[in-house]
Amino acid sequence: MDNFSSLGQGFLVALLPLNLALATLGCFAGTVLGLLPGLGPINGVAILLPLAFAMHLPPESALILLAAVYMGCEYGGRISAILLNVPGDAGAVMTTVDGHPMARQGQAGVALSISAVSSFVGALMATMGITLFAPLLSSWALSFGPAEYFALMVFAIATLGGMLGGKPIKALLGCFMGLMLAMVGIDSGTGVYRLTFGSLHLSDGVQFIVVVIGLFAISEMLVMLEHTQAGHAAVKVSGRLLFNAREFSQSAFTMVRSALLGFGIGVLPGAGATVASAIAYTTEKRISDKAKTFGRGDVRGVAAPEAANNASACGSFIPMLTLGVPGSGTTAVMLGALTLYNITPGPLLLETKPEIVWGLIASLFIANVLLVIMNIPLIGVFTRMLSIPNSVLVPLIATVSFIGVYGIHSSSFDLTLMIILGVVGYVLRKLDFPTGPIILGFVLAELMEQNLRRALSISDGDPAILFGSPLAVSLWVMAAMVLILPLVWRWSKKAGRSRKTRIGA
Amino acid sequence: MSDRIFALACLAVCVVVLLQMWQLSVPFAYEPVGPKAFPVLLSLLMALCCLYLLVRPDRDISWPPVGQVIRGAALVGLLLLYARTFDLLGFPLATVGMVFAMSLLFGGRWWAGLISSLLIGLAGYFLFDRVLEVSLPLGRLWS
Repeated sequence: MDNFSSLGQGFLVALLPLNLALATLGCFAGTVLGLLPGLGPINGVAILLPLAFAMHLPPESALILLAAVYMGCEYGGRISAILLNVPGDAGAVMTTVDGHPMARQGQAGVALSISAVSSFVGALMATMGITLFAPLLSSWALSFGPAEYFALMVFAIATLGGMLGGKPIKALLGCFMGLMLAMVGIDSGTGVYRLTFGSLHLSDGVQFIVVVIGLFAISEMLVMLEHTQAGHAAVKVSGRLLFNAREFSQSAFTMVRSALLGFGIGVLPGAGATVASAIAYTTEKRISDKAKTFGRGDVRGVAAPEAANNASACGSFIPMLTLGVPGSGTTAVMLGALTLYNITPGPLLLETKPEIVWGLIASLFIANVLLVIMNIPLIGVFTRMLSIPNSVLVPLIATVSFIGVYGIHSSSFDLTLMIILGVVGYVLRKLDFPTGPIILGFVLAELMEQNLRRALSISDGDPAILFGSPLAVSLWVMAAMVLILPLVWRWSKKAGRSRKTRIGA
Repeated sequence: MSDRIFALACLAVCVVVLLQMWQLSVPFAYEPVGPKAFPVLLSLLMALCCLYLLVRPDRDISWPPVGQVIRGAALVGLLLLYARTFDLLGFPLATVGMVFAMSLLFGGRWWAGLISSLLIGLAGYFLFDRVLEVSLPLGRLWS
């Protein structure tokens, strides 16, 4: 009951005219950014964060705007997945498998509307999940000491490494690079300068916004330059615009199942929407693909990944709001936004800044209603956006990014550093490094080091304190498991395959 | 091959970090760990990952052809120029120039680039500086 009265307070914050306007704007901008191939939630949030900060928005309003953009991107990604067969963002990869065949069979309207409703169901269930579980988790996390915190962050990094499929080493290395980049500047414990190489500009450290814009806007522009010639041929939306009762009842259970699955995956620190939608799709295929229609335009094949990726996007707010450990790359950026406002994320956030946490949760409800309204009747507006040429879009991104970075410190050194980081980010992406872990590492660095140092001060340097409580030990064991299990699994698969070939020979 | 070159470069960074930490002198230490331990730990972990990449690199990556690399370099040059001129020439002028050039680089028609550059440069200035109160420079050169 207590949760619901707090949620009511949250609605009072979220329904303020400014916040409501920002949520609407964010939903619209997010859907557009999401449907443009190449730009996803992390780019959208990255580009708008410095603007929100430079516009002196209060922290809860800034977070509401960013959350609306995040939700909007998850809705928008499916539009280009269905109409172009190009996922608009990474979470929509699995939506292309059945969505595009449906569009080519003249059912684009059905695919778009059923996926909008699935997104809504997924996000709504997950937001209710946040309302129920966030206070529980945060009161539990209040008992965490520095040692447990350190172990929790190790666990978050390990899940990221273990979950990002084929490239665990690159994900880990990326995360370490992010941590290292955050070491530059003055050390808060002793006041010594670390890794500044005598540069006055670096004495305050590398600004979070500079890293975010460099990695997610500048490097994206370089990637987009490679695809200028490739034109997109969108399928025209014709025929029925709305699904019928049979299609809905066919996929209703799919939505609920996938939403629960997506929410669970989203709550895990580190694992995000891409993993969730892939797992939901394969699970749904195993359960209900009796007539072998998956992959050829089955409504359930559209409903499953969309419900899951939205549920997981919402679910990833839980670790961010209650533990101060982000559940996805995008929430890592939003967590960094909190620190820009000098707000320390963690379990105390719910008590000290309830207007931020509950305002954000309430605005997720509002954003989802707005999005499903925007995405069914106004779908024509968004499909027209698919024809924005890169020659207009990219200079616009450049301008907005520069305004945001310059608007904060008025320093042209930051602008140059941002471009350098963008080039580094581009090279890393070419080398198949996932960029999410880099920003996660950068965001977690300060808390991680502080907690390690605090823990060891308590024990006077004895590292045994890091394994001193059952909770800490279980976090370490879980971290080790998520790192080792995928290796064992892959190794046993390989061993099984080679045994088979040996028998075959 | 690309992975190996990268791993070597990254190892070099680790060595630089270790040397820097070696030279760092801490006047006062109130706690047992100090500012050196965490970066040292990180660089050792990074070095471990790099060694793994050296031994078992991924399949080689196809880099874009020379023409693409030149266009990429042009884009970076353009951005650096924009960063230089941003407060020197002022936001409106620098933006009009940057948007026009970049739109040509991305294969836009010159008149379309002209329209969008004037629109983004001038409307952008009024929207952000006047309406949204994000202060933008008008140019050190003129004032």
